Amino acid sequence: MHPIFTNGKQLALYILGYLPIGAVLVIGFGHADAWGTAAAFFMPLTVLYGVLGMTAYYVCRAFPITQQYRIWRALPAQAMAAITAGGFSVGIAWVWSAMLESLNLDVHPKMYLDQPWTLFAVGVLLFGLAIAFHYALIASLEAQRSENQILESSLLVREAELKALRAQLNPHFLFNSLNSVSALTTSDPAAARHMCLLLADFLRDTLRLGSAQRISVGEEFAVLQRYLAIEQVRLGSRLSVQCAGSDQAMQEKIPALLLQPLVENAVVHGIAHRLEGGTVSIHAECRDSALVINITNPTDADRPRSQGSGLGLNLVRQRLQAHYGASYLFQASEEEGAYRVNIHVPLPAGEVGL
Amino acid sequence: MSETDAITVIVVDDESPARGLVREYLADHADMRLVAECANGFEAVKAANMHKPDLMILDVQMPKLDGFEVLELLGTEARGVIFTTAYDTYALRAFNVHAVDYLLKPFSAERFSEALTLARTRLRKSEPVPARELLETRRDGAAIDRLLIRDRSNVHVIPIDDVDFVESQDDYISIRAAGKNYLKEQTISDLEQQLPAKGFVRIHRRFLLNIARLAKIELSEKDNRIAVLLDKTQLPISRSGYAKLRAVLDG
Repeated sequence: MHPIFTNGKQLALYILGYLPIGAVLVIGFGHADAWGTAAAFFMPLTVLYGVLGMTAYYVCRAFPITQQYRIWRALPAQAMAAITAGGFSVGIAWVWSAMLESLNLDVHPKMYLDQPWTLFAVGVLLFGLAIAFHYALIASLEAQRSENQILESSLLVREAELKALRAQLNPHFLFNSLNSVSALTTSDPAAARHMCLLLADFLRDTLRLGSAQRISVGEEFAVLQRYLAIEQVRLGSRLSVQCAGSDQAMQEKIPALLLQPLVENAVVHGIAHRLEGGTVSIHAECRDSALVINITNPTDADRPRSQGSGLGLNLVRQRLQAHYGASYLFQASEEEGAYRVNIHVPLPAGEVGL
Repeated sequence: MSETDAITVIVVDDESPARGLVREYLADHADMRLVAECANGFEAVKAANMHKPDLMILDVQMPKLDGFEVLELLGTEARGVIFTTAYDTYALRAFNVHAVDYLLKPFSAERFSEALTLARTRLRKSEPVPARELLETRRDGAAIDRLLIRDRSNVHVIPIDDVDFVESQDDYISIRAAGKNYLKEQTISDLEQQLPAKGFVRIHRRFLLNIARLAKIELSEKDNRIAVLLDKTQLPISRSGYAKLRAVLDG
């Protein structure tokens, strides 16, 4: 369909655009004693012709001007179209004049038909204008479309990037876990099987949950507990876990696996560096129209300044940004031998306008 | 190989299942005698000091001290070392410190046997590892953020920010930190290369100073300059040391 029909305002503007052209024709052809006749004849005719001019869109689409196809290639076809339109215009003028005469309104536009070549020339010229207008219209639509495309694709790329990063399950976690399975196979077959099942469940979770997906805090906690259960097989009594949330908070939705990299950091950069181990605490509650999540772990003062924990933090920050815009809070701090991450995200009622 | 020729082994890994696996694999090798199992670097240094093992099977990522730091502390006392880790990124460093082998977790009993075969060959030749070379290649180039000092079987971990200054004493260095002196077998030039250039300046052939401890510079007789530290300690500054100090202080 002609793009101008997609918007009523655009169509009205296009038709209105023909009125000044009509006025020019009235002035050009009219005589002092017959302004009324000229107006009655040319004004409706011009508007009608404007509608006819829309067909130029299809001609322009059929012969686009691009880098490869220069204007001279479209010229013969456009000339043919313009000449045909010129012929049409003479025909329409003839029919309209006959109608006006038969209405007995005391207007006699027949005299204009005495100059058919002039009418023909005006018709060709106006169609030429319509062609130029439509080329411009197509070009601007094209520009808009490609702009939208760039925007859309950059959004897609961003989301894909996040997805790739998140799905980038720490391979060393896997290798170490497999080593545990390998060790337990002879010493404790039941524990080895249990570990296999835990690993399978956790891997399935990370594959199943898409990055755009939201799951309830309760479901997220279940995934985290599976991950921590695996780490507990490796670290033994050094790792203990405290995971709790208020009933309301457990129902709230958050981006899937948002907390996983944070809990992994707590284990890998926190507990694993301590001889005596420690407790990873995960808490969720609703406070002042916000969902508040805390993750805390003890640290070792002597540990080498960590390599790699920044990647996880950045990923979480980016995902919060992508999902909540500016209306989130993310804090990570270390004091008195404890590392603490604080996340505030708005509850659904506060999400209006996002 | 007779019983007296048994190769003594200690296993170091912070994960109990991983130690169990090595224990199990070792059981198939009659000439290997497991003398200690350690769950962290401190225990490893103590055990190595006590048992003087022929072979250490050493994890890299551990609390407090990583596998490379354990080796650094043991110096030439470490004979054969087989690293076991899930990370393939340390392989080059392991090669640099003359590791017998580098096993990627999880590894098979066959792969483990191969490593032991290599170890037997290496220990039979008992080529001494060149000590100087060892010390110099044990770091991977990045500036260190803590000093490790062994005093018999105890290990001190000193954050470099706590260090006031370091004094050279032949092949040893004396480190002054938090009101205590620590002795370490290392040359001052070697340490100077490891420390971040912004924080420490070699003000004298024999002294390396933590800039943050400098209170003022005094001029003594004969144009000699003296660095006065915050705790009133006075250290000599050589002519070239003064130039270096100026360069750092003037940015």
